[in-house]
Amino acid sequence: MDEYRPNPGLPVQELETPCLIVDMDALEHNYNHISETYRTGTTKMRQHVKDIKTPELAHMQIAAGGTVGGVCAAKVSEAEVMVESGISDVFITNQIVTPDKIARLCSLTQRASIKVCVDNPTNLLDLSRSAQALGATIGVLIEVDTSMHRAGVRSITEGVQLAKLASGLPGVDFKGVMSHQAISGKPDKETRMIEGRKFIQMCLDVRDAIEKEGIAVEMVSSGETFTYDVAPDMPGVTEVEGGTYALMSTAYSYLPEFQIAVKILGTIVSAPQSNMSVGDVGRRALASPNGVLPSLEGLPTVRVSELHDNHIVFHSNGPMPLAVGDRFLLHSGQQDILVNRWDQFIAVRRGFVECVWQILARGCHN
Amino acid sequence: MEGNGGMERPTTKPFGVSANELDTPALVVDLPTLDYNIETVHSFFRSAQSKVRPFASAHLCPAIASRQLMSDGSVGGISVATIGEAEVFAQHGISDITIVNRVVTWSKLNRLCALAHLSKVTVGVDTGTNVEDLSEAAIAAGVTLNVLVDVNTGSSLWGVDPGNPTLRLAQTIKKAPGLQFGGLAASGTFTSQENDTDAVGKIKHWVQPVLTTRELLEHQGINVDVVSAGDTSNYTIVGSIDGITEVPAGSYALMDTRYLGNSPQLKPAVKILSTVTSRPDRHTSILDAGQKSSNRDTGLPSIEGFPRATVTSTSAEHATVELDEDMENMFRVGDKVWLIPHDAGGCANLYDYMRIVRNGKLIAMWEIAARGRYR
Repeated sequence: MDEYRPNPGLPVQELETPCLIVDMDALEHNYNHISETYRTGTTKMRQHVKDIKTPELAHMQIAAGGTVGGVCAAKVSEAEVMVESGISDVFITNQIVTPDKIARLCSLTQRASIKVCVDNPTNLLDLSRSAQALGATIGVLIEVDTSMHRAGVRSITEGVQLAKLASGLPGVDFKGVMSHQAISGKPDKETRMIEGRKFIQMCLDVRDAIEKEGIAVEMVSSGETFTYDVAPDMPGVTEVEGGTYALMSTAYSYLPEFQIAVKILGTIVSAPQSNMSVGDVGRRALASPNGVLPSLEGLPTVRVSELHDNHIVFHSNGPMPLAVGDRFLLHSGQQDILVNRWDQFIAVRRGFVECVWQILARGCHN
Repeated sequence: MEGNGGMERPTTKPFGVSANELDTPALVVDLPTLDYNIETVHSFFRSAQSKVRPFASAHLCPAIASRQLMSDGSVGGISVATIGEAEVFAQHGISDITIVNRVVTWSKLNRLCALAHLSKVTVGVDTGTNVEDLSEAAIAAGVTLNVLVDVNTGSSLWGVDPGNPTLRLAQTIKKAPGLQFGGLAASGTFTSQENDTDAVGKIKHWVQPVLTTRELLEHQGINVDVVSAGDTSNYTIVGSIDGITEVPAGSYALMDTRYLGNSPQLKPAVKILSTVTSRPDRHTSILDAGQKSSNRDTGLPSIEGFPRATVTSTSAEHATVELDEDMENMFRVGDKVWLIPHDAGGCANLYDYMRIVRNGKLIAMWEIAARGRYR
């Protein structure tokens, strides 16, 4: 467990490195952009806390506005951290299947509105049985596979059957349908509109088929950061599960309306060649799933060439501007995996430490 | 736990429970396999001139470091990657720690010297400027730092060239107050291709410049107590070379599929227990252990015991398993699946505790106390 509490007012350049910093101006910009986008319409944001893992950050977006007033979480333990921080509405965008975890879900319903995804009748029956035995009511949404080929029903028929089953069972409250979408590369706005609409429509089609059976569908939770401006234009989508937009990632650089708010501050510790420098932060601290590399801020002639467990290697075209002892800032290409590697965010504003946030859901895998 | 960061929050299970009943995902270490790996490597070093200096960043766990040091064949100390890790291991009673890194900023030089009040501290250098700074910090703190020259063997992030450049830096260290010249370390390492018939020749060729430099220093009357080189992939070769005194191997304790090809005598001791949470079609199972809990930085995890089931991808929270034709009734929702990590140390860094099992039963929880100590 790492413990680092620099005092407010400390210049960023004096922070011990490596450290995970949040640029407050950028974060507030991103939060305000979401609250403005969602303020007036019927579609609201439900921020995904898997990307931030920190209750204070979730409360900031809820306070800024444009949200449903609750959050999404990926895990039961993450949801517990959020409920303990006073959040009263959590949607777990995942299947919860083991008896231990189902009991934890039921317990959470005593203190908050809890919803979970299902894609399988056995799981639905298990949820119903446990909830009934414990006097709880768990909200359930049918997960629809639109593009991830991961969890989720693969057909409208399967979705309707599950909804029928759910609406007749005690202990569970059928809420609606949900889907995750994925898009690769750096799509332009037109591509995002076409692909995003296509995927979200698949989820809406399941809703329509369920309603034809006379079952009310209260929630359609679909869309994420890459469709944050697509989903609200689709009648029927009640909420969007955005996560990356808050802290941002270089993988989403095609959305320039959001600013990179999370950065990693490092120090050069070795300069073995005239065009090569080595920094004190590696894949352990940065996360590099599928080999994704971070980007260096502000030095266009320098590129990230390698990641080692505890070091990063830079090469330059021409003389290396980074000398031993120099500080550098990195932008992540996979920010949710990055945040899960750290115990604290150092929040900074215009070059000075503003506060420290404990990443309270770090390591909440269960 | 006021003041601390996050923490994994599995449902607590009593000691004696079957490992299969642990809340998932869970990082589980089989104690007999861990002990087998330690015994396999340490028994080699018991009969060799060189000794192992366990590289504890490969597990980040003080209980494992203690077990390594209790087994004869080690130098009696460990090596780590960061000062933060060294601070944790010193707090857990380890009295001899080598930091395999550059220590260049004043805050870290001061932390290094503070640590030297608690433990013997060794650090590598490759520049005269760094020697001056270390000396100044050591004098101010009233401690002695043990210093190795990191010799560039052509495969590293740092290191001074072998021969005269190393000699000159060693002479500078000898004259620097507050510093003790300890010897030489081959910077980086050399891992041969699996099944390379000339692995021995290549590894000897890789380490030879360090040995030649040692002779040069000794001819000039400079004692070279330590010559450090090698890792888990090559310890039987490097550890047998005359003149090598210690091998900073680390992965051997937990083992993973990244090193298994070069070290078939060792066995994976750490696994991740996961649960099937979705079975969306005949050929697909979804597990609850994704990149956040099984690590995808260097490679995908493997599935234990089912050669025809393959992890084809992982996302942040899930692993996708592809199943062969006739496996429809296997990997059902709620079933437990054991994953073998590709990078055991990288996985250890994601958890707060290792669940220790023997004969399939939970017997202990070991804190991964140096997890997240990147600075």
